Amino acid sequence: MRNREPIESEMDELLSGRQFLPVPPDRLKRIEAAVTADLKPVRPMASDGVYFAAFGGVFLAVWIIGCYMAGQRGWHALSDIQRIAVFAPLAVTTALLAFSVVRQMRPAAKYARSSARLSAGVFVLLLLIMPVIFQPARELAFVRNGMACFRTGMRFAIPAAFFFALLLLRGAALSPALIGATAGGLAGLVGLAVLEIHCPNLNVYHIVVWHVSVTLVCVVAGLIFSSVTFRRSTSNQ
Amino acid sequence: MDRSREQQMEGSGAVPGPEFTALEQLMVRYQQADAAAATALIEQLSPLLYRFFAAQLGNRDDASDMLQDAWLRIHRARHTYRAGEPVLPWVYAIARCVRVDSYRKRRRIAVREVVVDVLPEPATAGDASADLPSFDQLIADLPASQREVLTLLKVNGLSLEEVAQATSSSVGSVKQKAHRAYERLRSLLRSSYVRRGTAS
Repeated sequence: MRNREPIESEMDELLSGRQFLPVPPDRLKRIEAAVTADLKPVRPMASDGVYFAAFGGVFLAVWIIGCYMAGQRGWHALSDIQRIAVFAPLAVTTALLAFSVVRQMRPAAKYARSSARLSAGVFVLLLLIMPVIFQPARELAFVRNGMACFRTGMRFAIPAAFFFALLLLRGAALSPALIGATAGGLAGLVGLAVLEIHCPNLNVYHIVVWHVSVTLVCVVAGLIFSSVTFRRSTSNQ
Repeated sequence: MDRSREQQMEGSGAVPGPEFTALEQLMVRYQQADAAAATALIEQLSPLLYRFFAAQLGNRDDASDMLQDAWLRIHRARHTYRAGEPVLPWVYAIARCVRVDSYRKRRRIAVREVVVDVLPEPATAGDASADLPSFDQLIADLPASQREVLTLLKVNGLSLEEVAQATSSSVGSVKQKAHRAYERLRSLLRSSYVRRGTAS
């Protein structure tokens, strides 16, 4: 690309004689009138660091409250290796998701999509680690125990999602589905992190099905909610 | 305008855009509700945006509607611009989103409608050589992502970095798309030359 490709000169030749059509003057006037009629001073968005801290703060606050309210029996049941294997990837995924959400709030911000993809990769890695560090066990009340955990996770994921949505209102969502899924995933991770501290059940099936599903449900819910909300707001224009 | 941008503009044949620093200043004043700055921005950026939409759609009415939609969104998102950052990638990121949404909306409508007749748009290019295909005809055969990159590079005169920023992708990816587009265009141009040769 540094040396101009031969085809570029052909295209330049085509472009050099090209007459670009002017914008229809009446349309331009209409746009100017619409913009100037609604002209109010706006405060530019704070830096990414401020929003990153805000998302991180909400995450930590809800997680700490969740751990306090639900109890920490799960933490005591985990070995040191299990703690590291679970919480290190969770922390990395959370940081990457928060970074991605903050980046997506502003048009033309770099690394918004790549960080979201990377966080998904780390989360998949966590899922792959789980069968190695946790053992399968036979559970009589698999669904009943699981539903109790799922409800506990959602009890903290939903308030986190609400606060994240409030923060997102300040930005401009150019990809509503992606930003909804990312913020939903972040909220779901709050629920998952609370469950890993709270639940002493170390059955790998229980963890993979009922703990992880909190995050997955939140991702899907965020995606749908954001897409529908955005579609309504654009169709009302 | 910095030298590298000037060189790129000279080479590409694209119509030079307005001064970057001036645009940034206008944008900051626009955020402070300066009506003159808002008007100046609309007058300077609208031709670029219109060109961006028209080059990819080939339909002037749709391009004009999308221009209006783009300005509505720029207006609502103006607080997300940060002083000191380049304006054009920020504007084109919004314009790109408008184009994608408009495409989806038209597709939804098209599913429900019965097409009665399709009239071809009159060619907009003022190309001197009638035998050569126009720029619009050439890029119409490209996949949407390659067409978008090529339009931003050649018609709107953005640099590789700016296109990468506007399209939320890496510079490498932009280079790859442009390279693939050139490969395809090369074969298209070659076949048009062959046709011209056989005709004469």
